[in-house]
Amino acid sequence: MTALDVLRVYASSRLIGPAALRVQRWGNEWRARAGSGWASDYLAPPLRVAARGKEMVARHWLEGRYANRNRKVAWVTSGAPVELLHALGFFTVYPENHGAICGAARVAVDLSCEAENAGYSRDLCSYARTDLGSLFSGRTPVGRLPKPDLLFACTNICQTVLFWYRVLAHHLRVPLVLIDTPFIYFETAPEHAVEYVRRQLEASIPSVERVAGRSLDTGRLKETGRLSREASQLWMEIMERNDGRPAPISVVDQFTLMAPVVEMRGEPATVNFYAAMLKEVDGRIAAGVSAVQHEKHRLLWDNLPIWYRLRDVAEMLGAEGAALVASTYTNAWGELADLIDPDQPFESMARTYLYPILNRGAGHKLATMRRMIEQYSIDGVLLHSDRSCKPYSIGQLDQRDRLARESSVPALLLEADHNDSRCYAEGQIANRVAAFIETLER
Amino acid sequence: MILDGLPSIPRRLDVARAHHERGGLVAAVLPIHYPRALLRAFGILPIEVWGPPNIDATRAASHLQPYVCSIVRNTLAFLESGGLQVADLLIVPHACDSLQGLGSVLLDFVHPRQPVLPLYLPRTQGAEAAVFLAEELRALHRRLVEVARRAPLEADLLQSILDEEAADALLRRLFERRLTLPLTTFDFYRLVRAREFLPLSAFVELAQAMLVLPPAERRPHTPILLSGIVPEPMEILRAVDELGASVVADDLACCGRRLYPEGMSREPFARMAESLLGAPPDPTRGSPIQDRLDHLIGLAQTTGARGVVFHDVKFCEPELFDLPSLRSGLRDAGLPSIAVEVDLNDPPSHQARTRLEAFLEMIA
Repeated sequence: MTALDVLRVYASSRLIGPAALRVQRWGNEWRARAGSGWASDYLAPPLRVAARGKEMVARHWLEGRYANRNRKVAWVTSGAPVELLHALGFFTVYPENHGAICGAARVAVDLSCEAENAGYSRDLCSYARTDLGSLFSGRTPVGRLPKPDLLFACTNICQTVLFWYRVLAHHLRVPLVLIDTPFIYFETAPEHAVEYVRRQLEASIPSVERVAGRSLDTGRLKETGRLSREASQLWMEIMERNDGRPAPISVVDQFTLMAPVVEMRGEPATVNFYAAMLKEVDGRIAAGVSAVQHEKHRLLWDNLPIWYRLRDVAEMLGAEGAALVASTYTNAWGELADLIDPDQPFESMARTYLYPILNRGAGHKLATMRRMIEQYSIDGVLLHSDRSCKPYSIGQLDQRDRLARESSVPALLLEADHNDSRCYAEGQIANRVAAFIETLER
Repeated sequence: MILDGLPSIPRRLDVARAHHERGGLVAAVLPIHYPRALLRAFGILPIEVWGPPNIDATRAASHLQPYVCSIVRNTLAFLESGGLQVADLLIVPHACDSLQGLGSVLLDFVHPRQPVLPLYLPRTQGAEAAVFLAEELRALHRRLVEVARRAPLEADLLQSILDEEAADALLRRLFERRLTLPLTTFDFYRLVRAREFLPLSAFVELAQAMLVLPPAERRPHTPILLSGIVPEPMEILRAVDELGASVVADDLACCGRRLYPEGMSREPFARMAESLLGAPPDPTRGSPIQDRLDHLIGLAQTTGARGVVFHDVKFCEPELFDLPSLRSGLRDAGLPSIAVEVDLNDPPSHQARTRLEAFLEMIA
């Protein structure tokens, strides 16, 4: 790289780009002060901190555009023990988050078609299709995705990532480090499963160090673990503020504001961001600001969001005085925070990354929902039957029946897909949600 | 041409009932990999359940969404309609999100009368995978002791392992001799798939009887390689025969991907783990796609297969993710391929047969 190139990269990634994003943030903050930004007056304006979150995420992707020039890049699954990579200085990219960005930007179907034209079945996960389509076409709403030097996948969210990352490894010819987390069918993981994960984490170090070109600094790993725990705890605290009436922050906001805890876990800026968010949420509670004005119904959301209809769902529910106050999905990024022990990094990573809700049985998810129904005084549950996410969706039919029969909480199954809008029947969903809200009002 | 040499093979249900009547326990085993020897050491007869095909799957609709594959939906529907009454326990190996979900739904919501014993197969390729799997098999052993209320001696377990390895060696010889056996492709797969449910002695007797037959004269045929999870509905194999082709090698999860090598250790659990992990490449065990591609190309080269038929069950992620890379790699190696997608309950598809016919004409 010539001196001019270095200067150009520095100017774009450190000066002009961030400055432009800062101006954009000011604009967003100004708009948030000026009005809710929603079509419906029933919804509160976004948190002021949301503009800062958007800036953080945009900055991350901006840095990503140039990351190949000065850092090692890892593509990582959302549930992977990323502390290891951050301690080794990797720049991390989350194809799932990129998929979600494409979904929210409503370009996921176009990109999926690229993958489908290359032979990938429409029955495969739409995140995978979106990202493979982006890879094959080079198109992305984030400007440019850095090429990976390493693929790092963990099976604790699904087996799909195993199949997907094998495709990436084959296509890109880069090493794949897999952390395999045996599924927990019963109450606790057997000790040999914990040991298996711990051994894999330790065994992965030489491969990861080789790609990183440096040795793992245990002190840095512990510090990353500490920051991860702190960010996850703050995130949990924020979500738990919704246990009072009215709820200060909607789950729809949580879906977009969870990005830093997913993709920037282990960084000081993430901790600062959530500390600021908690302060603002507390300010809302003190001022009596609610996510939905005249909150009448409090709902629990199960499964991934429908990224391309987030706004519509929020407005549809808000108009009826229904607030999404809790979700098993956003909860998953905070509920394991206390398992992280920075002083026992490998042992605690093994346990923490074995226990995500998606690596546990359908009965455990039902128990989690029941606990959340109590904690958040939930009146009804919306279960998104997500065609693209079998581990999250299988079991929902029984969960819905048990909630209605045994917990007397109405529950509605919505058939859709988190990224593929071709699976979303607008009118049908609107009718079903309206009928469901009527049920709650009886 | 002599192509009528297959002795009568009893039905799965009749085999299970007969074993029951002799006082033995029957395990219904879901796909794909599991330790046969461990079950047999307890006197338990494993009867594998790959669907079954062509049943009314609506009984599963109250538990599973329509985007779950028909192998898993049919299994649950079969169970719910009483088809697995003969089984004393259910073994649910972990192969994919759908089988994982089925195991979980069975344990947490369906609560069948039989105990449900899940088994996790490691996805990594390192030494830690063998250590974990040996421990997982020990855990299964403990559950089996509870179910069977007895425990085999270690020497008996080791003998059971050696007996299974001998049966696997016979199975391998059947695969090697497939073209000189007096069998159609359809009957060959009825023969080798008898390993899915026959008692060990019955399978060994059957295999040995077939292996001593003199080589049969073969008609000219178009040699193909068959890939997928399970050749169901088996009409696909009849079509292969009728269209003048022969399956000369396969990469089927129920067949060729389970040609297990012998284990190395004398310690029984370690030996079973080594054997299971030593099987040919399989996406459900996390094998790299390149390994699977090399394996397919190797099979085609050694058997003379001129093309590959991918016979995939709809919604099967492990297969569908690999498919484009495999087809592309095979094309680069000069091997044409065709992909046929099926649902286990679909009637024979004229369209699929026509496509197969066109493919065979192209490679003939």
